[in-house]
Amino acid sequence: MSKTVLKVFVVLLVVLGAYMWVGYAITEMTGGEKKASGIVEISPEGGEQIFWGKGRCFTCHSMGGQGSAVRCPNLGQFGEKFPLPIGARAVERAKERSEETGIDYSATDYLVESLAKPDAYIVDTFKNEMAIVYAPPISLNLKEIKAVVAYLQSQGGEVDIDTIEQPSEVAVQYYDRIAAASAAGGGDPGNGEEMFVDTCSDCHQLNGEGGEVGPDLSTIGDKGLKFITESILRPAKKITPGYETYVVVDAEGIKTIGLKSQETGAEVEITKATGEVVTINKSDIKEIEIDEGASVMPDDLTEALTVKDFQDVLAYMMMQKSEGEQQ
Amino acid sequence: MIVWRKLSGSSFSGLVIAGICLFLVSQSAFSLEPNEYRQFMGIDSRKLVWFLAQLHLFFGAFVLGVPLFAVIIEIVGWRNQDAKFDKLAYEFTSLLSVAYATTAALGGLLAFALFTLYPTFMGYMAGLFKDVMFMYAMLFFAETFFLYLYYYGWNWLQGTHPFSNTVQRTCKALGVAVIILSVVFFFNTFGIDMRGDTKSFITLLYILPFGVGLLLIRDAKSTHVLIGILLNISGVGIMQLANSWAGFMMSPAGVDEEGELIGGLWQAFENVLATPLAIHRMLGNLAFGGLVAGAYAAVKFIGAKTPEEKAHYDWMGYISNFVAITALIPLPFAGYYLGREVYSQSAVMGNNMMGGDFSWTFIIQAILVGSLFIISNYYLWSGMTRIPGSERYYKFIKWILGALIISFAIWLTPHNLPLTAQEVGEMGGSQYHPTLKFLGLMPAKNAVVNLIILSTFFSFLLYRRGNKVDAVSISAQGTLPKAVISLAGLAAIAITGQYAVTMLTMDPAELDLPMESAHYFHDIGYVLLAQCAAAVIAVALALWDRGKLAQGVFLAVTAFNVVIFLGVYGFVVMEKASPLLRNVAVSQFLQLISCLILVSAIDMFLFKGAKEIGSLQWGKMTVRSQYSLLLLTFIITMNMGLMGFIRSGLRGDWHIFGVMRDTSQWSYTPSNYTMTEMVSLAVLVFMIAVAFMFWLGGLAARNKGTESGETGSDTAGVRDV
Repeated sequence: MSKTVLKVFVVLLVVLGAYMWVGYAITEMTGGEKKASGIVEISPEGGEQIFWGKGRCFTCHSMGGQGSAVRCPNLGQFGEKFPLPIGARAVERAKERSEETGIDYSATDYLVESLAKPDAYIVDTFKNEMAIVYAPPISLNLKEIKAVVAYLQSQGGEVDIDTIEQPSEVAVQYYDRIAAASAAGGGDPGNGEEMFVDTCSDCHQLNGEGGEVGPDLSTIGDKGLKFITESILRPAKKITPGYETYVVVDAEGIKTIGLKSQETGAEVEITKATGEVVTINKSDIKEIEIDEGASVMPDDLTEALTVKDFQDVLAYMMMQKSEGEQQ
Repeated sequence: MIVWRKLSGSSFSGLVIAGICLFLVSQSAFSLEPNEYRQFMGIDSRKLVWFLAQLHLFFGAFVLGVPLFAVIIEIVGWRNQDAKFDKLAYEFTSLLSVAYATTAALGGLLAFALFTLYPTFMGYMAGLFKDVMFMYAMLFFAETFFLYLYYYGWNWLQGTHPFSNTVQRTCKALGVAVIILSVVFFFNTFGIDMRGDTKSFITLLYILPFGVGLLLIRDAKSTHVLIGILLNISGVGIMQLANSWAGFMMSPAGVDEEGELIGGLWQAFENVLATPLAIHRMLGNLAFGGLVAGAYAAVKFIGAKTPEEKAHYDWMGYISNFVAITALIPLPFAGYYLGREVYSQSAVMGNNMMGGDFSWTFIIQAILVGSLFIISNYYLWSGMTRIPGSERYYKFIKWILGALIISFAIWLTPHNLPLTAQEVGEMGGSQYHPTLKFLGLMPAKNAVVNLIILSTFFSFLLYRRGNKVDAVSISAQGTLPKAVISLAGLAAIAITGQYAVTMLTMDPAELDLPMESAHYFHDIGYVLLAQCAAAVIAVALALWDRGKLAQGVFLAVTAFNVVIFLGVYGFVVMEKASPLLRNVAVSQFLQLISCLILVSAIDMFLFKGAKEIGSLQWGKMTVRSQYSLLLLTFIITMNMGLMGFIRSGLRGDWHIFGVMRDTSQWSYTPSNYTMTEMVSLAVLVFMIAVAFMFWLGGLAARNKGTESGETGSDTAGVRDV
């Protein structure tokens, strides 16, 4: 039997040897470990390292003959479809974009927009499959994204670091978007907006739209990430003045809980968390008091959110800043 | 990145050790600051944990897979009153005792390594999952209890003397109650908000088997079967709990961006990937358990001195392989489901899987999986040499082999690969090869994976009828075949029909497609309806004593629909209505499953009691065929290591995707060479350990045999399944 076992192990060693040989041959051909780089220098070189490294842009984009991805447009000069490399192509695309929107786009604006909001202007015959590069797992910060813009400009275009550093009105809104997302752990404000409309806008106003049960959130970004996070997770912890929760007990002992949305000499109007408005005669009220430990805002809201949803909403909220706070 | 890969090993941490560690660190505060990492004697912590986790997983898979396998065989033997199956099940179970202790010891070592080398991460996980971890520990005790009761109570619970009517009636009533409970649970009557796959998993693998086990109770032997079922329920439970941790690391739910639990623990537990992972692991472990048992039989066969021993171990190897193949067939679909969920969780992870860092790793995986199927077929064909009369079917083998090789080649054809500018130039300036580019796309791969499975199934059909002279009249066999075939036909129609309805009524907007694309949905629906019609015809033909024709018709229609029509149509769908492609894949899978069910049902009766050219000559197998069994075991083990590398590596530089970064010096994706080195080392150590355990088991059996005066193997009268 020992002879048999020996033979079996010889076979096993041969199989494992072949396995390792395949691994070795592939590694020789394709390169070794894939380490994320931490380059933050805003330059074509820095951007190149991000493009082919941490940014994982190469997973979907090729650069001319470099790379092999085909899921998204080739960013180099490649065949009839892409006669210009992206640096030069961006100038043409910016013109088209300006015509389409009526807003003046520079090549830099176009590139920034493509990275920050890839669905804004999609190349014909492609669909929007691009990941949010400032959200996990890629999680590029603003500086890294600027470096990528510089690298893309260097592909047949003019590298203009000044324009990148001092953005136009078009680019600055995207910079805000990226900064807000990064601050919020890498959420996607676009998805956050949808989440907000679905989940929050029944009670909260944003730029004149939405319900009035809760505070207006049009400048909530000014209060910072910590405040917003806490307000969502533990809404009762700090209640905005004027939005305290009232508990009204009438003569029959029926409790009504909600915001005191209106008060006249004879009546009190309570708006419940559901949006239902209850008007109670003051003469019927046995007891009325503020419950400091409660908020009308549902405290189980987060149970319906995934981590990503939460980060997306946070990112969207972080973008809601007053004029003075905008970059 | 790869570190935490087998944290989810199927079972058994060293509980005492883990418990102490849990107590020590569960109070640790989570921090967004760089995590704390430590080293042991300067060893690369990631590789150390990787190796230990991989080894633990191999043993965990073994001790989960083998009891599943043993209980199935025990039930077959018990229902057919064939003591050989019972003996075989016992022999497999006896392999478990040493493996179980080794798994627990390795689990303890792994827990030590994790808690001491990655304290921040483990502190966080223990804080979040402490309740689940204690449940895990409790289930471990349950599994230990049932395993030892199952093994040591084997002879004690052999009796077939019926229990009193009161006991039987009570058990039946309880069984009915549990089955009703499973139905109620499945249809959400409790109002529990749960994913459909999790609910199905819990219903089909926990509640329903327990209910059926209770229904079966009438004597001591059936009680033993119930204990085996409970053993497996606790084993699967342990696997599911541990899988939730691995799934959570890839698709965290219920925590905010600072890692604080904001939802319920249930959300964290039932994250998007937890159940798809559990389904994939469950099938993989069953195939793995079968093949390791098959390797044991193969080694014993090669070293056997007498024809009786050869016959016994030949049969044992055959049964092991049969069970493994049964689990292997649905595995690609479980993998597809898991992959789809990974993609839905994060497109970046999904793209990185087959089109990014791991595209070449997937090519190695395709080579391994393709080899598994080809070698399994080879083993079946070799087995035909021990069947007098099977020469009649040899002529088909070359065609099956051809189909397998072509399918295999297509399967491993990449869509695109990293190319040099020169290579691009040589291909006419395109990054795609002019012809091969089509073969690298999913429609082609979906078609050939179905063809591989159909071909393997066809080999099995040939094997089964090898020595049978002619088919038997089904109409003359009483009502059972009629009922079984009709029910199988109904099942086939239900499986494909419900999806046909879905396709014919689905609003394209659900997939973000315009109304004009509705006809693509309808075309798939019509194909499924054609499959239903073919099922009706096949049942009618079978009941009309045209069983072979029935099988031929249904197989041909399935092959045409699944491989040719939907294979080609998949390209159209991909071009015109890409999101629908996943539904094409589902429709292919459902048609294939319906085919396997109905054709198998017909086959059960088609040759039942048929005149034989000669008896199966167990033991008359080439030694080469036994090496093929061994190769299957080696390959599936290597593949498990490889797939774990991919799954874990997909998180990139995150311990917990989007929540906790890997800030260690090992935060990078290792090369494929490193992966093959690490996996090979783990496989080698595992195989040496298994050989040692088998030797110990043999030693114990010999001692027992000497004490009881038994000698040699009982090999007479072994039968086929």
